[in-house]
Amino acid sequence: MPPDSPQKRFLILGSLLLVFLLVSWWFVLSNPLLVLLRVSAEIGWDLFGNNSGRLISETPAGDWSLRVPVRFTIPASPQQPEPVKIHSVDFDIGRTQAVAFTFSLPVYWAIILAAPNVRRNLRPLALGSVVVAILETMLFLAFAEISAHNVAAQWSPQTLDSSDWFLRFGYYLVVNVIPYVAPFLIALGLHREFGGQVFPGVHSKTVVVPSHLPVHSNNKRCPQ
Amino acid sequence: MPSSNKQALSSPSRLKSSGVRPKLWIFIALFTASCIGGFALLLSPLVSPAVLKFSRSLVEFSGILIGACGGHVRVEGAVLRDPFTGFAVEMKDGCNAANVTILLWSAMLAFPAPWRMKAVGLLAGSLVIHAINIARFISLFYLGLYSATLFEFAHAYLWESMLVLDTMVVFWLWVNRLSRTSALPNAA
Repeated sequence: MPPDSPQKRFLILGSLLLVFLLVSWWFVLSNPLLVLLRVSAEIGWDLFGNNSGRLISETPAGDWSLRVPVRFTIPASPQQPEPVKIHSVDFDIGRTQAVAFTFSLPVYWAIILAAPNVRRNLRPLALGSVVVAILETMLFLAFAEISAHNVAAQWSPQTLDSSDWFLRFGYYLVVNVIPYVAPFLIALGLHREFGGQVFPGVHSKTVVVPSHLPVHSNNKRCPQ
Repeated sequence: MPSSNKQALSSPSRLKSSGVRPKLWIFIALFTASCIGGFALLLSPLVSPAVLKFSRSLVEFSGILIGACGGHVRVEGAVLRDPFTGFAVEMKDGCNAANVTILLWSAMLAFPAPWRMKAVGLLAGSLVIHAINIARFISLFYLGLYSATLFEFAHAYLWESMLVLDTMVVFWLWVNRLSRTSALPNAA
C-alpha cells in the first residue's frame, strides 16, 4: 500500500473514527438512540397496519417486552386435550439485544467522515443517517416478526416446518449481516465521489462507443 | 474516464452494445445474488460440517500461535480455553470471518474484471482477512480474560465493524491494482 494512498488514509482514519464513535455510542449515545428506535419502531409498526396495540413495553428490569400478533394453533396433547388458538406472542429481549439495532449509525458516521473530501460529506452524512435509521427500524421490526414466528414454530411445529430454514436464514441476515454491512453500502451509494473511487468505471456511467466510430477526447486541456 | 473507453473499445464483447450501460445496477444485482447465495450456502446443512472443521482449524492455529509466543491455552475443538481461569471463547459461524469472506468474494466476482485477476484477488484477499481475523480472535480471547463488558463491546461491535472496514479496503486495493494494470473495468 503506497504511503499516501487514499486506501491507507481511509483505513487509518476510518479505524480511529470507528473506535471513537463506537466508544461514544456505547457509553453516551446508546440510550438516546434506543429511545429513538422505540419511537420509530412503534410508528413503523402502525404504518405497516398493525393496529393491535403497542409493540414494545418496558419491563421493570429495563428490558423490552414485545407483543407480536401471530395466529397459530397449539395442537392437542396428553397434557392439553383441546387445541388452543393463539393470536399473539409475547417475548422479552434484553437491552443489549435491542441496542444492537442502533449501532449502525455510528459506523455510518465513521465511514462517511473518513471518506475523502470532508466538505462534500455533509449531505450524505445527513441523508445517510436518515436512511440508516429507517433501515435499523425495519430490521428491528423484521427481527420482532421472525422471533415471534420462531416462538410459534416451537409451539406448533407442524404448521411452520417448511419455513424453518427461511426463518433461520432471515434471522441470520437481520442480526448478523445487514446491520454490519449496510452502513458501508449506504455510504458508497450516497457519497458519489467515494463510491466512484472504490468502484471506478462501475459507479459512474461509462459510454460505450462502437469500434467503427472515431474516438474523441473530452479533455478540454488537450483539444483534438 | 479515458482508460475505460479505451478498454471498452478493445473488448470484443463491448462492441455489440452501445449507449450508457447501467453497470452499477448489474454490479448490485450480481453482488446481492452472490451474497444471498453465499449466506444460504453457509447456513445449509450440507456445508455446516465443513464450516465447523474450518473453525476448528482456525482455533487450532490460534492455539499454536499463542503457544509460539509463550502463551498457555488449551484447544478443545472450536473452543480456546485458558487453563488457569477456565475462561473460554468458542469460534462460531460469525467469528470465523465467513461472513466477510462471502462479502469480499461476492464483490470481487460481481466486479467487471478478468477472471485471472479475480482469482488472485479472492486468494490474496481471503488470506489477508483471515490473518486479521486470527488477530481479532486472539485479542478477544485476552480481552475476555480481563473484562466481560469490554469483550462484549469489542466482539459484537468494534471488531466486527473493523473487519468489514478492512474487507472494504482490501477490495478497494484490489480495484486500484486492477486500474493500474489496465485490467479495469470492462471484462464482465
